[in-house]
Parts: sequence; structure tokens; C-alpha cells
Amino acid sequence: MAITLSPKDFATATPSWWCPGCGDYGVLAALKSACAELGLQPKDVAFISGIGCSGKISGYLHSYAFHGVHGRALPVATAVKLANRDLTVIAAGGDGDGYAIGAGHFIHALRRNADLTYIVMDNQTYGLTKGQSSPTSATGYIAGTTPSGSAEAPINGLALALAAGGTFLARGFSAQPKQMVEMIKAGIRHRGFSVVEVMSPCVTYNKINTYAWFKENVEDVTQHTEYDPTNRSQAFEVLTRTGKIPLGILYREERPTFEELTRIPKEPIATQSIVGHSARFVELQRHYR
Amino acid sequence: MVLNNIEIMFGGQAGDGSLTTGDLIASVFKRMGLEVYTYKDFPSRIRGGHTNYVIRAGERSNYGMADAVDGLVAFDVEAVEAHIEEMRPGGFIVFDNTSEAIPEHLRREDVSWYEMPLAKMAKSELGLELVRNTISLGALGALIGMNPTIVRDEVARVYQRKGEKVVDLNVRAVEAGERYVREHFSAAPTGYGLVAVPDSGRLIMMGNDAIAYGALVAGCRFMAGYPITPATDILEWMAKYGPTFGAVVVQAEDELAAINMVLGAAFAGTRAMTATSGPGQALMTEALGLAGVLEIPVVVVECARAGPSTGMPTKTEQSNLNHLIFSGHGEIPRVVLAPGTVEESFALTVDAFNLAERFQLPVFILSEQALCQSKATLPPLDVEAVRVERGSLIADGEVTFGEYRRYAFTESGVSPRVIPGVPGGMHLEAGSEHNDMGVITENARNRARMMEKRMRKMETIRAELPPPLVHGPSDARIAIIGYGSNRGPIAESQDRLSGEGIATRFLQLRTLWPFPEDDVRDFIEGADHVFIVENNYTGQLERLVRYVVGPLDSLRTVRKYNGRPFRPVEIMEPIRRHAEALYAEVRR
Repeated sequence: MAITLSPKDFATATPSWWCPGCGDYGVLAALKSACAELGLQPKDVAFISGIGCSGKISGYLHSYAFHGVHGRALPVATAVKLANRDLTVIAAGGDGDGYAIGAGHFIHALRRNADLTYIVMDNQTYGLTKGQSSPTSATGYIAGTTPSGSAEAPINGLALALAAGGTFLARGFSAQPKQMVEMIKAGIRHRGFSVVEVMSPCVTYNKINTYAWFKENVEDVTQHTEYDPTNRSQAFEVLTRTGKIPLGILYREERPTFEELTRIPKEPIATQSIVGHSARFVELQRHYR
Repeated sequence: MVLNNIEIMFGGQAGDGSLTTGDLIASVFKRMGLEVYTYKDFPSRIRGGHTNYVIRAGERSNYGMADAVDGLVAFDVEAVEAHIEEMRPGGFIVFDNTSEAIPEHLRREDVSWYEMPLAKMAKSELGLELVRNTISLGALGALIGMNPTIVRDEVARVYQRKGEKVVDLNVRAVEAGERYVREHFSAAPTGYGLVAVPDSGRLIMMGNDAIAYGALVAGCRFMAGYPITPATDILEWMAKYGPTFGAVVVQAEDELAAINMVLGAAFAGTRAMTATSGPGQALMTEALGLAGVLEIPVVVVECARAGPSTGMPTKTEQSNLNHLIFSGHGEIPRVVLAPGTVEESFALTVDAFNLAERFQLPVFILSEQALCQSKATLPPLDVEAVRVERGSLIADGEVTFGEYRRYAFTESGVSPRVIPGVPGGMHLEAGSEHNDMGVITENARNRARMMEKRMRKMETIRAELPPPLVHGPSDARIAIIGYGSNRGPIAESQDRLSGEGIATRFLQLRTLWPFPEDDVRDFIEGADHVFIVENNYTGQLERLVRYVVGPLDSLRTVRKYNGRPFRPVEIMEPIRRHAEALYAEVRR
């Protein structure tokens, strides 16, 4: 009988490398609370992260953690889930990791709809390399690599996700922990691929999209009683309209998962015996007689 | 002279069905008890473009291509034009003259011409132009003396899936070909005495089939890959057969995803692999460094093709050896295995999985287009003899949190590996340098110790690696070193040179990294000439040998880099030249 844990039980002894005030602290706290409130055990959580300030998060969650190469958290996480369906698999990374170098995997993870959760910690800059423009930086964002201002339009990650076949899309703000905890919990419970994008301010390099700026510019649209998160066209309208940044669980849909469609056994493949089957293997050779 | 040894080439346009007929001829020869090797020389396009399928059949196993083509079945002038110079004097050409005539300048006098309107016969007698391939099979069989019953049996077996009518149509096509030969040609090509001997339950298998099969037998239960010639067969094979053994097979969005998926599945505790070729291998390089530093066992099959860049996707080359051994930033332990036959493709794949898990590192299986997409006859594969060795793996039970050290410093360099789900084993696996607990650190002393721990595996693994094979008398004064698909043409060269009184010894390397330095040094000792045979321009194997033995006056290179495998004559000639000088010296 597993005992229910507290958020502290998901903490590691490793001191954080993040700057004081970083939005990522809020994400980590919410994640620990979500894991505890869901009654998960650290041994059953696989936590995969990419590279960047955000990628360091895997070192701070007591779990089976994997800190891989830049942009590839999703393929790793997908395979961990397929290899062991008993695990709760969570991937995390930043806007550069997910929407620039790893953008290809993002789209295909959405199509594939394997049962895992992806947390995108969006600070609209490259923090760990000291503040360059990122794929979510506003057009005109001035940084070391774009001294005259970014000439590119920012990526709207969740609108992209919706177009690519996303089945659970939510957006939070790291200064609003309660909502984030609920979102992450709902995302983990969702049967399929869930995306939780979090506005996570970089206090060191992004002097535009600050906590104060976000407080002015976010809006929890799901508070409105008429908002229906199962209405795809409404979600698309809300995600793409100009004005305030919509927060909340913006879209959810029930669609068979990759595991279900490909009939992957429920029992973990990773722990099945791999010896035996000799007679069946010999039988296979008949095709080559 | 009766020669129970023949090379047939089927040449036409891609997409015209000659591959199916080529396979059919191969299985007829196999049924007749001959040893078979096939080579597909097809363009990187689906329809159109000259394609040819070579079938070598003889009494000796594990040979490759012959010196020359004995019989060419040409469906157009382009095929004759492309291969007329490769014809053996005394050989023969079956030519479809329905719509083209042989231009006079191509008409070699020293080959026999059998011209027949194959397409016209197919259309008028059988109502389907496509069966001209099967008519040509009937004609070929009649010309060289294939056993007609076996031909019919094989046609029936191959087409039975398509129904009785299709079988009947193709059998009638065979008969039409045989009849045409009887009625129109008084003389058959001479010199072929193909004798049917009982086929003792052997297999005929492609190198890629043997790798995929070997992986599944070895316990591979996860494969991710991205389609790429000439490796795709492995992914398709796994997708077809893997799931019935509980394996998960994913077609990834690119090679970056494929290799990272393999890492994820292996991290979770599954035996996992991917298969790719040069361009895909290049994309996987970064993640392979990660596998090295995370000490995750992965198996990567490289089916080499001619590079660089797109190169010649359907042609063979041994130019990716450097890449497998040296690619990547930073330094990791790794293993490169190279099978030389289809049978070895099976056995070394099993070894690859055991080595990867026992030593927790990436293992490459290096094949080549001329081996991985070639078929060969072989004895049944012994699955009972396969041993699964998983090394220091903790997949059940529990460990004590706080005491368990994923990267514990050990004498062998190998640390106990837990998988997610095991109580107490929670830890971080980070591509950043880490301490024995997995915690990221840039501490100087730890860094040095951790590098030493990982790289130590390259020493502890040595005794476990597939050793090289020595073919021929070990005291022969002429030595040959090679690997991979060159095993066949080198072995045939040895046999034939031996018939001429020239003894050679051949070191077939099966582990290319860590390089078997002592074996190479011992082998070279006392040789008057050392020939290094390889399919690349810069001499990648030769450089490795030179690195081990230093400057060596007796080193000779035999290189080929036109995308085609060696023919024995290309290896025998340089050896003969040097041998003559050698023996002249001895006589003096």
C-alpha cells in the first residue's frame, strides 16, 4: 500500500542553478504539488528534459530523470512511455528547446498522441546563453543576436499544437501556482498527449515580458461560463485573437492514443522476459527456405 | 569444361518486375543445391532508369560477384550497352528484340546472342506484357539447363499468393520461353553443367533480414527508425514480425527522433535499436555521444552506401568507417562490429546486444549495400545457441535510495543499472558531466575519474569482442586484410590464387573498434606483402592499420570507390603482380 506523499517528497537535494525570482521555480513547485496530489510515487515517474535553463528542472524533481540533448525530450519521453506504460512520463523544456530546435518533434508528438505530458516553460528568450531572441520573442525584440529587433513573427505554440492534432492544451502563468497545479494534474490524467505551456518570466534577460507585464496581459478565459474547451474552432479563435494571452485548459479531446492504436501491451515491455520463443523463431526461418 | 558456377545478370528498367524474376532465379539455383549470392544494382528511383540484378551461383558458399557476367538477360539496348564490356568471352546474351535491334558496334563476336521477341510473345501469346520476365526465365532455364521441375515449383510458390490464375499464367510463360529456345536455337551456350543436388534445408536470406531476425532473437523489443536506403528493410521487417513477439516499432519523424527514442526505450530497460545509413548516421551523432556518457546500451545498424551527402543511395561503399569510429564531440567508449556474410550478420547482431548491455555503451553493426541488400544461401540459423547476457541490470527488486550509485566507480568501468519503476533507484541521467550519484558537477577531480571510468570499458571489453578470422594458411607470405562484403571476393581470390600456386592468408576483421591492434600486428608479422582491400578512396582501414604498425614498406592498397563491389579479378591481379616478383626473387 503506497503512502500519499507531500510535494517535499518530490524534492531532490540538488541546489537549484536558476536565478532568484526565475519563473521556473513556480513551475517546479506546481509540478511537485501535482505529483503529490495525484498520489504518484517517485519511482513511477519518468521526467525527461531538454537543454536550457528550463532543462535543468529534471535535476530538481525526485524521480527517474533524464537530461538529454537539446530539443529531443519528446522522442525520449515517447519511447519511455511505450516501453513502460506503468510509468507517468513527463517531459519539460523551454520555448527554444520545444519550438525552435525541437519543433519537429513537437508536431509529431501531437499527431502521435502517446500518453505523456509536456510542460513548455516559455520565457520568450534564450536564458542560458544570455538573452538572445527566441521563437516566442515578439517581433522587434532587441537582443544580442537581433540588435535591430527580431524580424520574425513569434510562434503561437498552442495554436500550432491545435492544428497539429493536440488533444489537451493548457496555458498557465508561473505566478499563478494554484491554476498551474490543476492544469498539470489534468494534463497527467488526460489519456493522450497533453501540453501545458507556462509563461515563465526570465528576470535576468527579458525586461519586457516581466511578471508585471504578464499580470496586465493574461486572462483566464476558462472562467467565462460559455467557454467550451471541447470546441475546437472556439479554441482556435481564442488562441489566435489579438489582445490578452488566454490562460486555462483551452482545449481537450478524447482520441485513441498511439499505444492503443498500435496495440502495445499494457504490461511494461521493459520488464518482460526476452528469452524463449525458440520454436516460434525457428518457424520464422521457413520464410527463407 | 563443365562449370557448375555461373553469373546471370538481369538488366532492364526499374519497375519492370526484374527484381521479382531475379529473386526467382536465385531460389531456383538454391533449390538446385547451389550456393547463391545476389547483388542488386538499381537506380535511386522507382520507375525507369537502368537496373540490374546479378545472381551468382556455384558450389562454394560465401562468394561474391564473379569476374565477369556469364549470361545477360537484356530487356533493352541500354542494358546491353551498359554491360557488354563486363561479359565473359564465351558468355551469352538473351535479348528482347520486340522493339529494338542490337546496334552493330555492340555486337561482340565472342558472345552468343539469343534474340527473341519477349514482350511480343508475352502480349500475343499470354495477353500480359509483364510476364516477359517469366518467359525469359523459361528461355534462360532451357539455355543453361536449369531443372525444369524446380523452375515450375518455384514459379508456383512465388505466385501462389496471387492466385491459381496468376500461377497458371506464369507457368505457361515459362513453357513459352522453353519452347521458343527449342524451336529457334540449335546450340545452347556451352560450359554450363548445372547439376541439381539435394537442398538440405538451407536458407536464402538478405543481410538486412538476418540483422532484423538476429535482433528479435536477441531480445530487441524496441525499434525506431526513419526510412533510408539501404537500411529500410530492417525497419519494415521489424514492423512486420516484431509486434507478434511484443516488440514496439515506431517510424520516427527523423533520425534525430529515432535515436533519441532508442535511448528512451533503453533507459526504460528495453533492448532497443535503430538502423540507418550515412546521412541518418550523421544526424544521430549527437545523441550517440549522449548514449556514451549516460552509459545507455543502444545498438545502431549502419547500412553503408556511397557518400558523401546523398551520394549514390543504392550503391555500396566502405566510406563510413571513420565516421562510426571517430564521429562526435567529446570522447566515448563504443564498439563497431562488421559482419562479412549473411550468417555473420545474424551472429554479430546477437553479440551487439549482449555487448551493449554488458558494457552499457553504443554498439554499431556496420554492413554495406553489397551485403545488407544481397541475398545468400546459408545453413539454418541456430537460435538455441543464442545466449542473452544482460550484464549489471537491476530490473526488479529494489535498491536503497542514498546508497545506490548509478555511476559507481568500478574496476571494470561498468556500474549497476536500474530501470524506472525499481524502488529506491531514483536518479538523474544527465548528458552534463555528473558524479557517481548522477548529480551534475564540473569538479575537476570527478571529471577525470569519470572519463577514466567510462573509457576503461574499452579495455575490459576487449576479450569479449568477436575476434578476427584467419582464412588460408597462416604461414603464407602474402597477407590480405579486409572486412565486410569484401570477405566473399577476397575468399574467392584466395581459392583461385591457391590453384595457381600462390598462397595467401586473409585476416577478416569482425571488430573494427576498439581496433584489434594485437591481432593485426601478429597477423602482419613475417608477411612479404600486406594487401588492404577496401571500398573507399582514402584508405580508412589502411590508416588504422598504419596507426598500429607504423610505416610499413610491404603495405599495398587495393581500393575501389565506384559504388560497385569488388570482382575477384580486381583483387587477384595486384596480388599476382607482386607474387610474381616475390617468387622470382625466391627462385633466384
